[in-house]
Amino acid sequence: MNSDVLIIGGGIQGCATAYQLAKAGVSVTVLEKDWVSRHASGVNAGGVRVLGRHIAEVELSKAAMQIWHQLDDELDADTGFRARSLINIAADEADIETLKKRQQQMHQLGHFHEKMIDQQELRQRLPHVADYCVGGVVSEDDGYAIPYQSTLAYRRAAERHGARFIEGASVETIRKVGSNWLIKTAEAQYEALHLVNCAGAWADQIAVKIGDNVPLCHSAPMLMITTRMPHFATPVVGAVSRPLSFKQFENGTVLIGGGAKGFADRENNRTRLDYSKLATGARNAIEFFPIMRTATVNRMWAGLEAYMPDNLPVIGASPNADNAWHAFGFSAHGFQMGPIIGKVMAQLILNGASSFALDAFRIDRFERKVL
Amino acid sequence: MANHSVKPDNFYHAATEAAVKSYDIAIIGAGPAGMSAAITASKAGASVVVLDDKALPGGQIYRNVTQSPLRDPALLGPDYLKGQTLVEAYQQCSAEKLQQASVWHLGDNGEVLFSREQTTHSLHAREIILSCGAMERPFPIPGWHLPGVMSAGSAQVMLKSDALVCDQPVFVGSGPLLYLIVAQYLRLGIKVKALIDTTPKQNYLQAATEITGALSAPGMIGKGISLLNEIRQAGVAHYRYARELRIEGENQAEAISFSSGGQSHRIDAGHIFLHQGVIPNLNISRAAGVDHHWCPQQLCWKPTLNHWGQSSVDNIAVAGDGSGIVGADGAALMGRLAALQQLARLNLIPRGQLQQQAAADQRQLDRLNRFRRFIDRLYRPLDAHRIPDEPDTVVCRCEERTVAQLQAGFAQGGNGPQELKGLTRCGMGPCQGRQCGHTVSELLAKWRGEPVDKVGYYRLRSPMRLLNLTELSHFTRLEPATHPAADKGDKA
Repeated sequence: MNSDVLIIGGGIQGCATAYQLAKAGVSVTVLEKDWVSRHASGVNAGGVRVLGRHIAEVELSKAAMQIWHQLDDELDADTGFRARSLINIAADEADIETLKKRQQQMHQLGHFHEKMIDQQELRQRLPHVADYCVGGVVSEDDGYAIPYQSTLAYRRAAERHGARFIEGASVETIRKVGSNWLIKTAEAQYEALHLVNCAGAWADQIAVKIGDNVPLCHSAPMLMITTRMPHFATPVVGAVSRPLSFKQFENGTVLIGGGAKGFADRENNRTRLDYSKLATGARNAIEFFPIMRTATVNRMWAGLEAYMPDNLPVIGASPNADNAWHAFGFSAHGFQMGPIIGKVMAQLILNGASSFALDAFRIDRFERKVL
Repeated sequence: MANHSVKPDNFYHAATEAAVKSYDIAIIGAGPAGMSAAITASKAGASVVVLDDKALPGGQIYRNVTQSPLRDPALLGPDYLKGQTLVEAYQQCSAEKLQQASVWHLGDNGEVLFSREQTTHSLHAREIILSCGAMERPFPIPGWHLPGVMSAGSAQVMLKSDALVCDQPVFVGSGPLLYLIVAQYLRLGIKVKALIDTTPKQNYLQAATEITGALSAPGMIGKGISLLNEIRQAGVAHYRYARELRIEGENQAEAISFSSGGQSHRIDAGHIFLHQGVIPNLNISRAAGVDHHWCPQQLCWKPTLNHWGQSSVDNIAVAGDGSGIVGADGAALMGRLAALQQLARLNLIPRGQLQQQAAADQRQLDRLNRFRRFIDRLYRPLDAHRIPDEPDTVVCRCEERTVAQLQAGFAQGGNGPQELKGLTRCGMGPCQGRQCGHTVSELLAKWRGEPVDKVGYYRLRSPMRLLNLTELSHFTRLEPATHPAADKGDKA
């Protein structure tokens, strides 16, 4: 089967890229080894935030946020996106100092979306926050979406523009034949002029087949969700210096994250949870929000996610092969960026360049001279 | 202990690993299977711990049999009372018995996590026997989600544990347990408004093909017949071959309508108790990663086991109704067999003796299973009572998802239970899929035109029960013997 572009990986990056290309009239095939949105894109915490982004990501993230605010209309779907604001709580004066430094840096760069709030405003916005919390920082446009629905919304929209999705198609070999890429799975083979690697926690394996080495590792960030509770928190909540993150959905359930990692068994598509770390997450949630004492955990899970050593993604062209492109390694904060990554990849493939600065995301940024 | 410095995050792991209590065999559930496994294993010298989430051992069938709140528990029948002997033998055996211990995680590393006394505890076991029993089959008919409707089994639980009854209920469904509960109500002098029997007429004919199995246990057939006679003689209105069931009411059950014998009926009723048999309680075996298959005879998912109860996971055996419905006597036999095999694996009995020690039990179990085939055929629930057709019928009670909503999710690509769950939230609520899992598997099989086995089930994970966040946050002391008070000390 032939197409202009072949995308490996049916997560949000692959689906958004497929959507942008298909919309531009390009023929696209997406190969997904399991099913679309099976891994990190479907089971993440759904945070849609610009707050606290690495400087290198801020422009991309801000552009993505603009798209999120009208994404349901664009895709004609329900992504579950809600702009609820995100507040990172400062637990003590040291946290306030951290925030002040960050604010100074952001202002110098011309970014004004992160606003510090004092203790009084913190309590107004989060009436149930523990007494000792001294303030925080808020980003008004931030919120959350439902990851599985969002990724699927991109898939459906891409399909409406003619993109093809092949599920259960695990890539076995990748070869160059003339100017084309030839990709073989157990059942079929595919040819395309362009190859896009959006393979998430498996992206290093695909990169190697393309001819690029990358120091990717994978892990299993864990989440838990409670049964329905009375409404007590509107904004999404994080903490400046502690591993705490939670959001209360409209149905009252509370999703508790914080970045604690379980154990990833990538070969078998499985994760194992580290319950002592989840217990720490439970303790943090209760300490910041005493109302959570009575919460009841209904489900716990982890997803297989790709991490780069500097926690920044790989976005851009392969340095070692023509017409091969990478978008992976988002290190547990790529969901929000999906919408803009789709545009960036389409720009790269169609125009050979992006309007965004992507130097920080080069795949070969860790290459060293060896003596 | 490792000589490098340990990060605070990993501290508890490193510091308490040695203190975690370990056992040869951990048994989850103290019903007939778990109790008899514990007796067999502890007699042979194994160190055994039994974790049960109730206040007293006995499981569902022998619930509170040694401390009944009823003035005359004999009214519940001889099959209930005979549990006393087993419970007493169990109480005398040397197994460590942890009641009100709610197991919520079995690790592939042998770790067992459970909640007890407001704290999360951990223990290790070389071998594990799951004897978590059965639960009632969902009965997804129009209106089954309304207040005033509950399962007949729940009604029996209230009766056995708190002597609570409900006046003038209507019982609906099929199967020996239903008739038993109706009879138990009548013996206590409670008026029963009607028994609406949904056993289809053709089942009586089809069950006849299994009659040789039935004849292997003639006493048990007699029991069923005498229960029904008892109900009829008490003057309870008894409608047979009922179908087209519909519970009516706005915010509360007000009536049930149905057809029986070619006629339409409508009975006013505020309390409606449904029952159409029991199915294995498989949240634990699923979350533990045990292979399961669809059983066409019992129309339910079952863990895939060898004849010792050994599962696809090396150290896990399943015994009793959790392995497929076998009844209390079969459960006790299976518990013993699973324990014997694990004793041989632990070198506590010679392997050579295994067959010989098990032979009589296995013969008896085979006989019971032949009888079970007859019962399964006779009380096989109608497709219409398992696979709802009407768009407004609720499938997932927790998230209130109807057939129509699931069908929309299916049309959007929710081909498997897990994808459908992601799209519709069906199965995401506090019952953790227990009330809708089987229905969803069968609905998808119908819509896809494929066997249920191919459709599969939800991907389940720990916690297998709801878990209080505070209990989880106390996961600092891993030794079961620790008093909860000691935990408070290290929090500051």
